[in-house]
Amino acid sequence: MMETTRTTYSVKKANRLKTAGITAAVIACLGLFLMPLGYGIATALKSPDQAASSEFRVLPLSPAQVQHNGEKWDLYKVPMADGSVKTLAMVQKGRQMSTFADPANLDTPPIEWKGNWRTLTPELQLDPQWSNFVTSWQAIDFVNLLKNTLLYAGVSTFGILLSSSFVAYGFARFRFPGKNLAFVLVLATMILPNMITLIPTYTFFFSIGWVGSWLPLLVPAFFANGFNIFLLRQFFMGIPRELDEAAKIDGAGPLRTLYQVILPQAVPALVAAGLFNFFYCWNDYFLPLIYLAGHPALYPISVGLSAFSTQYVIYPYLVQSASILASLLPIIIFFFTRRFFMEGVVLAGVDK
Amino acid sequence: MKLRTNQQERSERRWGLFFIAPWIIGFLAFNIAPMIASLGFTFTNYNPANPDKTQFIGLTQWIRAFTEDPETYPAILKTLVFSAICLPITFGTALAVAMVLNSKRLLGKSLFQTLFFLPTMIPTIAAALIWTGILNSQTGWVNVFIEKLTGFHAVGSDGIPWTTSPYLIYFTYSLVSLWGMGNTMIIFLAGLQNISVELYEAADIDGAGWWAQLRRITLPMLSPVIFFNLVIALIGLLQYFAVPFTLNQGRGLGFPDGASNFLAVDFYAQSFAFANMGYGAVLAWVIFLFGLAFSLLLFWSQKKWVYYGGEK
Amino acid sequence: MKKILGIALALLLVAGFSYADKTKVRWYVGLGSGGDAPTVVVEKKVVEDFNKSQNDIELTLDVVANAAAYNTLTTQIAGGNAPDVVGPVGIRGRDSFKGAWADLEPLVKKYKYDLSQYDKAMVDFYRTEGQGLVGLPYAIYPSFLYVNRALFKEAGIPLPPQKFGQPYVDENGKSKPWDQNTLREVAMKLTVDATGKTPNDKGFDPAKIVQFGFGQQYGDFRGTATLFGAGSLVAKDGKTAQIPANWVAYHKWMYDAMWKDYFYPNFAYANSDLLNKTDLFASQHIGMALVHLWYAGFADIKKMDWDLAVTPSYNGKTTAKMHADTFEITRYSKNQDASFKVISYLMASQDLLKAYGGMPAKKAEQATFLDGFAKSKFPDNKVNWQVVTDSVAYPDNPNHESWMPSFQETSDRYTITYNKLASEKGLNVDDELAKLKADLNKIFKAAK
Repeated sequence: MMETTRTTYSVKKANRLKTAGITAAVIACLGLFLMPLGYGIATALKSPDQAASSEFRVLPLSPAQVQHNGEKWDLYKVPMADGSVKTLAMVQKGRQMSTFADPANLDTPPIEWKGNWRTLTPELQLDPQWSNFVTSWQAIDFVNLLKNTLLYAGVSTFGILLSSSFVAYGFARFRFPGKNLAFVLVLATMILPNMITLIPTYTFFFSIGWVGSWLPLLVPAFFANGFNIFLLRQFFMGIPRELDEAAKIDGAGPLRTLYQVILPQAVPALVAAGLFNFFYCWNDYFLPLIYLAGHPALYPISVGLSAFSTQYVIYPYLVQSASILASLLPIIIFFFTRRFFMEGVVLAGVDK
Repeated sequence: MKLRTNQQERSERRWGLFFIAPWIIGFLAFNIAPMIASLGFTFTNYNPANPDKTQFIGLTQWIRAFTEDPETYPAILKTLVFSAICLPITFGTALAVAMVLNSKRLLGKSLFQTLFFLPTMIPTIAAALIWTGILNSQTGWVNVFIEKLTGFHAVGSDGIPWTTSPYLIYFTYSLVSLWGMGNTMIIFLAGLQNISVELYEAADIDGAGWWAQLRRITLPMLSPVIFFNLVIALIGLLQYFAVPFTLNQGRGLGFPDGASNFLAVDFYAQSFAFANMGYGAVLAWVIFLFGLAFSLLLFWSQKKWVYYGGEK
Repeated sequence: MKKILGIALALLLVAGFSYADKTKVRWYVGLGSGGDAPTVVVEKKVVEDFNKSQNDIELTLDVVANAAAYNTLTTQIAGGNAPDVVGPVGIRGRDSFKGAWADLEPLVKKYKYDLSQYDKAMVDFYRTEGQGLVGLPYAIYPSFLYVNRALFKEAGIPLPPQKFGQPYVDENGKSKPWDQNTLREVAMKLTVDATGKTPNDKGFDPAKIVQFGFGQQYGDFRGTATLFGAGSLVAKDGKTAQIPANWVAYHKWMYDAMWKDYFYPNFAYANSDLLNKTDLFASQHIGMALVHLWYAGFADIKKMDWDLAVTPSYNGKTTAKMHADTFEITRYSKNQDASFKVISYLMASQDLLKAYGGMPAKKAEQATFLDGFAKSKFPDNKVNWQVVTDSVAYPDNPNHESWMPSFQETSDRYTITYNKLASEKGLNVDDELAKLKADLNKIFKAAK
């Protein structure tokens, strides 16, 4: 590619500063943006005692402990009468007076210390509960859940992209009677809250025996849905007609035009729609729950995770660790597909 | 200039219908009957726990919604007010972030795009726990960090009550929705990437600055996508339910003090919680009518500001 | 809509006839307890054992997480796919699906189920107007104080009494009646901020409380108020709303406890990580928690040094609110006879009862149950389980979960007031309660 812009040294320097500035700003925003995620990870690594600590702590810290005759004592930094600060093991807490033991010599008579023990700082050590991940992995049948979720998200996304690009092409490139009415109906299916159609839809699926299987969730994906039709139509309408006409001159029919001209031009849109749908299915909770109730072997991750939470008790640290495990796979998939398609897009842009 | 023959028109018609056929079939099989049924509910006293006792009662439910129920008009107002607050925040941020992430001057674009999209991959249950955790006015990270960094008294019940103040709560919901803006952003990114690089290069040669390029190239070329995201966002805001529902688990619908009683929340409460699905259906169709009205308005307006490169 | 239902039901009937071999009974768990992982293991085993023990009925288990259990059941019933047996379900679940339950009276007569082994009051409890006998007494959960002995030791004060009628003897040897005032005093001594000061000390910082004295766990507007005596939000005529005087007194007491004396955690504190997101007692940052027996069934408190104590009295009367669970059969079940056999079996299973942590409603079995429960769940903790048995004698009548017009809507409305009182300082309790009463009257009037 020919360099048409003049790049003097001062311009290069300005560019580098801009790059540094923008990158720094993005990192700062990202930090704020992902801070809640930091909370999720921090909680995932804590035990209930660490999470409920009376002092605000970001990291999973626990007081160091010593064992004596089957009892565990916390270590505190205690200021002594002579001005020094010793690390002692707390035997008995008291409001006005507490008893400590010397951790080096636990059998010596306990030391009495007057004062409020809450003003003492415990001897903290980093104690991340990696076992939380192990516990949640074992408590949930992760492999099966992952398999189910991948199947659901994968098949559904494939079906949606296939059918929606088909239908969107029709709306974008062709004139036919009733087109506007049809498009209004497409929108209408998106506007009506789907909770109200839940029961009639469920009744229908129950009457044909599909309840208890994946069919009510997968089959409709092959008939396109409003969101994707609308999205892809917008993109297709932005593609110059000259390309269509060039293909026509070459003797291509509408189908060939779709697959050889339109779709390659709309790769970013297809990627976006694909990713969007993939993760929507990944997180879809309510519909799988309703249709798969009573068949735990078919549950996707979202429903499987909900088995953790009951009305009375939530183990937040376990739910967080399970969620992180559940999110890892899509993150990896996402990271690599982004790279792959990014390269395709850059090439497409250059060729124009 | 070619003249379009009748045969060409007929051929175009047939192909058009052929391509949208999958959707027509799906619509007839899966959508139309439930939609009509839901409209039918509005004329009955349908109680899903006792479905066999349903009776036809004409327009009673509609009259109740608009003249008797004190909650209907406030719900509409709350939905509109919330939309007015939430839309600029999420829309504007998603667009701005997408533009920055598309900038030539950014290192590690792919990594950053992944990271901004990350929160949408977090399962909803985890996200709900995370947000109730960090927004807690006593021990939540947000208030603690604010107090540590600025000294402003944020911690405690007299600090910043993110989830319990009926006034702050709309802002809080907007923040939570902002966290899930990855989808909107990705679509904006796709749109930005579709803009031919040559346009910008030509503008550079002409000496156009950053702001002019934004106004003359980026926004017009992006307008189909902006239009799409706007319609989707509006529809989504009218149906806004999931965030208040998950954050209010166990605290009563409409918490705090009725502020989150949006149309869709009221609909859910009536239909499922109180089992008045006949009445709830009316609310669903009110949402529908509003959504349809807004969408049609936007569609009518698109002639004025949306540029489709592929249209003659 | 009816036509679709009709087709669905017809198909169901045909399907029912073609599966002539075994009668299928579907058991739906999730409206109440029974959804947590260790309990599901026990439930699955009970189902297996039942299926092995006979050849006529095939029992299947559906466990749905509580948060979605109501919706899912609604959808299933409305969609024509109603389960046969639902349980364990408490009063709240039962009233949320009013009209969906089968009358068990004819089945009780047919199978000569002996109702005399229960308290008559308990059986009548399950008889509702116009619906007959919708459930049989199964598990009861009295409530009492769970006390954290370690915190009492640290504060240097004695534990509350473990027998009804006994006074509280404080650390100076002074004897006081164990009522709400003494509770308040004890709780204030147990409440400390980050520097160790109690609300009685100067310089106490309510924004930095690290330990609370007393709280009612998982309670709601009605349940918590029952500490001051039973009552109902529905007046005797069944149509007007009322807030009984003792309940007004309670909510004023609780408001001061949260915002003046600070020994009761307010909304923000209760939902924070400090108190384990409403799991107050297990966080080990509260001295006394008033909860039901089912809490001991699943709470993670084995490692704590804890004990039980009796609820304090109010105006000379003690009330220990009661929860009750049962199994119910849906009106839509095609196999009500088989379902009745199933619930008779489920109710007789000791393993199942232990998993739920419920006391048997049958008086004769209560003592042995507690022994087994204590040995299996808390073999090393020295807990005075007699408190549980004694508390059974002080139930709240009418029950705090009993029926109200538009049950769900009314609950939602009073929950809003309950949470508002717990979130905002400086409110006028009388005003808020008056607003509540007015709104409840509106709801009751609109109810059919």
